Amino acid sequence: MANLTLRPSIESLELAPDQLQALRDSYGKMQALRGDDNRSWVHQAGLHGFPQWMCWHHGRIGQGDPLPYNLFLPWHRAYLLYWENFMKDQNGQAVLPWWDWTSDTSHNIGVPASFSQPQADGQPSPLFSGPVPALLSDPPRQTTRFPGSPDQLPTPDQVENLLALTSFVDFTAQLEDIHDFIHGWTGGMDPNNPDQGGDMGNVGTAAYDPIFWSHHCMIDRIWYLWQLRQGVNNIPDDYTDKALAPFGQVVNDVLDINRLGYEYVASQQVLTTAGPA
Amino acid sequence: MTAVKKRTASAAKKSAKQSKVAAPAYRVAEKYSSTSLSLEGIRKGFTRADLRFDGVDHSQTTYEARVFLNNTNASDKTPTTLDQGFAGSFHIFGHGGCLGDVGHCEVRGPRRPFDPRPEHPLTPVSKIVVATDAIRRALDKGTTVTVTVIPIVLSGTKLCDYEKVLKFEKVSVIAYQ
Repeated sequence: MANLTLRPSIESLELAPDQLQALRDSYGKMQALRGDDNRSWVHQAGLHGFPQWMCWHHGRIGQGDPLPYNLFLPWHRAYLLYWENFMKDQNGQAVLPWWDWTSDTSHNIGVPASFSQPQADGQPSPLFSGPVPALLSDPPRQTTRFPGSPDQLPTPDQVENLLALTSFVDFTAQLEDIHDFIHGWTGGMDPNNPDQGGDMGNVGTAAYDPIFWSHHCMIDRIWYLWQLRQGVNNIPDDYTDKALAPFGQVVNDVLDINRLGYEYVASQQVLTTAGPA
Repeated sequence: MTAVKKRTASAAKKSAKQSKVAAPAYRVAEKYSSTSLSLEGIRKGFTRADLRFDGVDHSQTTYEARVFLNNTNASDKTPTTLDQGFAGSFHIFGHGGCLGDVGHCEVRGPRRPFDPRPEHPLTPVSKIVVATDAIRRALDKGTTVTVTVIPIVLSGTKLCDYEKVLKFEKVSVIAYQ
């Protein structure tokens, strides 16, 4: 178990000051790196949308394929793992937390407190916003959000209904639809500028927002929960050898999260005592 | 609009609830109403029925597409209830307009046979609304259905078109026996 990463919920992370501080430290260091450093926030977030556009959403047809296939879930699983390694490279104690947008807390306050407070310890919080590079004629800036009303967020029943689906193709399409809604809900529209929304609300800039990673961690966790019920290898055969660029993996490599070295925990209590001197 | 289709699929027996998202104070774009579509090919014993939208554009805003059956007067203010013909919603996570140079977001199809890359990321997509109860209700009341879609913009950028948000090629009714 020593090398198994336990991904917690944000709510449990907020009860563990050391872990929360490790996440802030990691994100802060990634954000401070120059954008042309390939360990940086700007470089890694840029894989998803602008400027590299490597993300997978919806079904597409590849070379020699008769039917569309949808790598939305496996591609983002590989991306999260790649990202989490860069996080740990900055702070070895940092882990990627999932945002449970179905929880009572989320239905009460919306975006978790640790991600919606502009300051932490008297400094700008790296969980509140992230750097965005220059886009067209716009200069570099920080991400923004204008989230909707918390009572609009998906319910546990909606997730439970997804987990009962038996077909991967059906499951991924319906989970992706909820994913699409959360992006729009979180980005929202600027009440002072009716032509501009927050960064989570479009593919181009979503990954620059720190909450993106915890939203996708929730999506990955739901896929994992579905796999526990419907089978780890429950995916069409013709998906398994599809490449997940640029991560050097194929779909089959990312089906079993334990082989990838991580696990999701519902809750975590850590009791530590000193060993012999 | 395509002809009504039906097919069996044991894997699709379980019907998932659609996301019932209340209307926020966001921008409402131009709505769509189909011509009348015959349901005569659908037998009433289906276990699940979907509305499938094909060729949906996702290059612009992020939006909720709220779908009503046999209610061409529906608007963003219409309650999302079965008695109003509400069938469910689908959501599009939009690209937010073009951030590239000339031709960057131009989808040229069909894909070239020796191009090793997958299709262009902006290739139009298919979206499903599981609408079993709404289609049963429509069948109880008659043999035709009109599909009305209200696009409600959740987020976008200054590069987006906020009027013609909803663009798709066709909508189909698919019943699973």
